[in-house]
Amino acid sequence: MIAQPVTAAERLRHAEPVMGTVVSFDIPAVAASVLPRVLRWLHWVDATFSPYREDSDVSRFGRGQLPLADCAPELAEVLGECAVMRDITGGYFTTTPGGVFDPSGLVKGWSIERAGRLLAAAGVTSYCVNGGGDLQCAGEPAPGQPWRIGIASPLQPGRVATVVTGRDFAVATSGSAERGAHIVNPHTGRLAADLASVTITGPRLTTADAYATAAFAIGDVAMGWAERVPGYEAFAVRPDGRTWQTSGFPDDSR
Amino acid sequence: MRRAILALSSTIAGLVLLLSFKIHIPGSTDAGTTAASGSAAGTGAGSADMAGAGHAGHAGQARREARKARPPHGAATRTVTGTVADTTYGPMQVQLTLAGQSITRVKVLQRTDDGAESDQIDASAIPKLINETLAVQSARINAVSGASYTSAGYRRSLQSALDQAGA
Repeated sequence: MIAQPVTAAERLRHAEPVMGTVVSFDIPAVAASVLPRVLRWLHWVDATFSPYREDSDVSRFGRGQLPLADCAPELAEVLGECAVMRDITGGYFTTTPGGVFDPSGLVKGWSIERAGRLLAAAGVTSYCVNGGGDLQCAGEPAPGQPWRIGIASPLQPGRVATVVTGRDFAVATSGSAERGAHIVNPHTGRLAADLASVTITGPRLTTADAYATAAFAIGDVAMGWAERVPGYEAFAVRPDGRTWQTSGFPDDSR
Repeated sequence: MRRAILALSSTIAGLVLLLSFKIHIPGSTDAGTTAASGSAAGTGAGSADMAGAGHAGHAGQARREARKARPPHGAATRTVTGTVADTTYGPMQVQLTLAGQSITRVKVLQRTDDGAESDQIDASAIPKLINETLAVQSARINAVSGASYTSAGYRRSLQSALDQAGA
């Protein structure tokens, strides 16, 4: 087992460019030797699942050139997760957002969650892995302190809209602030524009990430839906600056 | 240009954090009695220390010290001015306004004026960096969740500021 940090100063931060974004790590400094293995995992995911690489398994599978049985077994696992998320979101989460096969909406969250599990398997009990704005956290950054995660304001760059706290949890946010409107409501074919951003918290990032995408596509009425989803909570910022959140949302006023 | 902003970001974060460290050590024992002491120079802070991103670990520690402190209710405000630091972008000086032990305002007193590029970097980057420093400090956060950013978007993200401050 790796010793837990005595003070916050013994933390290691690392920012890794991969998957078209940057993945930030906050782990105990003594866990540095585990990091290369986790980074190799993320780059492998990038090479295997990127829809932008002609020769990736996902691209070849999508074009019908490579049967699933010949793909990396992780693709079948991802497709299984995608099917579950499609069903429990009533089709609002989909692997064919633009009519073309693209499971990227799930792959990033899934690979970050798995990166966390790789750290845990190596004995790292305190970590925060941030994959371009979607996080999986475990343990505490310092003894007795929960993780404090700022939710970026979609309307005021550089500001946080709220702060969530927790120990073993995931935080995923969907919004149009960084890449413009890009999430399509699969039932209407129109770009989702009801909300400026939606944040989902819960145990698993794979699920939270897919829920965030679905909630953003659903729009303002997602609050009623999110309130009924067991184990996950939601916070949303509307374009007019007003916000709403589900009753169990773990903001730091709790 | 982007690299320049990155470097400036860590420089300003370093300046602010180091200054807050120097203030908070004595302040933690007699907070309130030192209130309204007016302008106090942040002496003893060598410009090489202040400009160096290599001291970010130390600054991170300082920030955590600062995080423990909460402003006493109704504390008077005071202003603290740092010594001039020679940065890659020319001499810079930071003035902080504090309420108790919390930084409420950051002002850059001197800016580079030795070239159009530097001016441009200052004009565009400084207000945003000050906002980010304040936002991060006041919220005492470990990380940031937001709409997925690209690797280019990361460079201007709050997460990037946190990664640098804690590195």
